[in-house]
Amino acid sequence: MAELSIENIAKRFGETEVLKGISIDISDGEFVSLVGPSGCGKSTLLRIIAGLEEQSSGDIRISGQSVAGQRAADRNLSMVFQSYALYPHLSVGENIAVPLKMRRMTGLQRLPLLGNIMPGAREARGTIEQDVSHAAQILEIGHLLDRKPGQLSGGQRQRVALGRALVRNPAAFLLDEPLSNLDAKLRVQTRAEIAQLHRQLDATFIYVTHDQVEAMTMSDRIAVMMGGRILQCAAPDVVYEDPDRIEVAEFIGSPKINILPVEVSGEGRLSLLDQPLNLAVPGANRGVASLGLRPEALRLSGEGAPIHGHVVHSENLGSELYVQVEVTGLEEQVTLRTMPDRRSALTLGTPVALDFDAAKALVFDADGARLRKLRNLSATTSEVA
Amino acid sequence: MSATEPPVTCVAPAAAIRHATKERRAAWILTAPALSLMVVILLAPVVIAGLLSFTNYSLGNGSFDWVGIHNYEKLFTRSTYEKMFIATLTYVVTVVPISVGLGLGAALLINSLGRFREFYKTIYFLPVMATLLAMAIAWEFMLHPSIGMINRTLEMGCGTVLERIWPFMANSCAERFPLWLGDKRYAIWVVCFIGIWQGFGFNMVLYLAGLTSVHRELYHAAEMDGVRSAWERFRLVTWPALGPTTVFVVTITCIRAFQVFDTIEAFWPQGGGPNKSTYVMMFAIFEKGVQQNLIGIGSAITMLFLAFVMFLTLIQRWLVERKVHY
Ligand SMILES: Nc1ncnc2c1ncn2[C@@H]1O[C@H](COP(=O)(O)OP(=O)(O)OP(=O)(O)O)[C@@H](O)[C@H]1O
Ligand SMILES: [Mg+2]
Repeated sequence: MAELSIENIAKRFGETEVLKGISIDISDGEFVSLVGPSGCGKSTLLRIIAGLEEQSSGDIRISGQSVAGQRAADRNLSMVFQSYALYPHLSVGENIAVPLKMRRMTGLQRLPLLGNIMPGAREARGTIEQDVSHAAQILEIGHLLDRKPGQLSGGQRQRVALGRALVRNPAAFLLDEPLSNLDAKLRVQTRAEIAQLHRQLDATFIYVTHDQVEAMTMSDRIAVMMGGRILQCAAPDVVYEDPDRIEVAEFIGSPKINILPVEVSGEGRLSLLDQPLNLAVPGANRGVASLGLRPEALRLSGEGAPIHGHVVHSENLGSELYVQVEVTGLEEQVTLRTMPDRRSALTLGTPVALDFDAAKALVFDADGARLRKLRNLSATTSEVA
Repeated sequence: MSATEPPVTCVAPAAAIRHATKERRAAWILTAPALSLMVVILLAPVVIAGLLSFTNYSLGNGSFDWVGIHNYEKLFTRSTYEKMFIATLTYVVTVVPISVGLGLGAALLINSLGRFREFYKTIYFLPVMATLLAMAIAWEFMLHPSIGMINRTLEMGCGTVLERIWPFMANSCAERFPLWLGDKRYAIWVVCFIGIWQGFGFNMVLYLAGLTSVHRELYHAAEMDGVRSAWERFRLVTWPALGPTTVFVVTITCIRAFQVFDTIEAFWPQGGGPNKSTYVMMFAIFEKGVQQNLIGIGSAITMLFLAFVMFLTLIQRWLVERKVHY
């Protein structure tokens, strides 16, 4: 186990710049997720860390040692691939044993028939078998060891791929969207299993996903990547509640955050649809800005509320109700979270007035950077709900 | 279940049965043309050849006699046919492994190239596209004992160090260079060489197609698992993935090797080479069945030929089902 530090990694494929200076420090035993939309360079970064791809510039250190010029086989990292990449002709047990055989046995000892009579081969095989069955036991795939990968379900294959990765105590685990081939139910289950495995092994994990729910539920820290940069790297609740940029706020959270266009007038006072809000951003430049409101920051209100509209759609998830509201004067609909017992009062077309919790409002400037200095102008916010 | 409830019936009503029968008849009627064509075009000739192999029939004769297994007996006793088997097996056993190996090697090399891929592919595939008959004439020129390019080139080695380190060279310079096509020691090997030269490009193309199906992530997985050498990578990933291709390539090459005919016909139109050293099966069938109009014995060789090919195909099927499909 080891800490990893990624220093200013850049990668170009010909003309296209895929990674533009990525730096993260990952401490020993930490679980870091890399999330971001498709094509933002997550896999590329992971493959550079693994040594399967060479960076154009920058450096990677594992336990303080630079691994520049070291090939993947020598970096002592384990990787789980999106397609699992199991050897189809080998049984599950043999698949898991490959990394051990390659490292602990000589070329002669590995030979098909002759290998058995080489000195030391017996013992090596014995200890490898023990380690394989230990790994299989952790992942509960002991009964599958004799099957071929072709005879396994997706979830079982995924566990075999994990087994092959964890059988040899690597410095860190690199996982590239390992759950993307599983169905929704299995994904939830395996998610929990991987999180548990992380606690059990106490190993360093770098987990690539484009599913923000996976990232939120499993990680110690989330690194949100977009366009070849890391926009924010912080604990899941921080990324959710206190995003640095509008892209992060939009990417994290489901349903998506509501972004409302606001105007900054004199003294930094914000106004929405030409109506002044009880909210000011001292020191902000006059002009347009964006107000981000999570669905749970909105609440139903009476007269005098800043947002008016009517219900166009509602989704009842049982424990909560999401209501889509078409706001007069805005193109985009806003989503509101409320209790399912309000359902009867919120039938399609019902006019609603919405207020928001000023403490949960997120304001971003025209470039998308977060404006953190907010002032609530109404000391007593109307508590109509 | 209450007594008033009617029992559940599982029997299909009579109308449905009648309908099913009708449908089945229609299906047979619709497949009949294809079936009869298959029987007439594919199966009948084999059956007829099989029957003829037990007769002494000649084309043009009104009648024939059943001679039992006489034709087959001849095949396994006469020395001509012994030579036929030796020539055929020598050819198959030499050409198949070498042209498969070369095909695989060329495919792996070409696959590792960035540029010039198409160029090499085309070059190696040229002999496959050219007809063997035309190429055989070119080879005949090159192999000519006195004015041929090959012996001329070899002659240049006389008087050099080659003469001391290579006994063949020393002998040839002292006496004369081989009559490649007229010497029974060399004739079959020349034919083998041309067979390999002509055929391995085809195998290379099949292997190149097979290589595209090897999952790239498997190579990365192998690298992560600590595979350092190209040989280990080949053993762990490439070779197993090429299993189905290899079975197919070997079978096809075997069948093609059994069918070798044009080179021999071009070099030695009468008689299958010096001392019948290149008297392969296809040529024997042609000579007996067509030139000498001995349909009976020709059919017998044909049946034997079919048996070989059938045997190979069955082995292929067995291998494909058992070993190489994961
Ligand atoms: N070998 C390559 N040559 C050229 N461009 C490449 C190469 N590999 C990746 N790219 C480009 O780099 C960008 C990032 O690719 P990458 O695979 O890292 O995306 P990703 O974030 O993993 O996306 P996904 O979530 O879809 O897996 C993409 O725009 C892709 O087109
Ligand atoms: Mg990816």
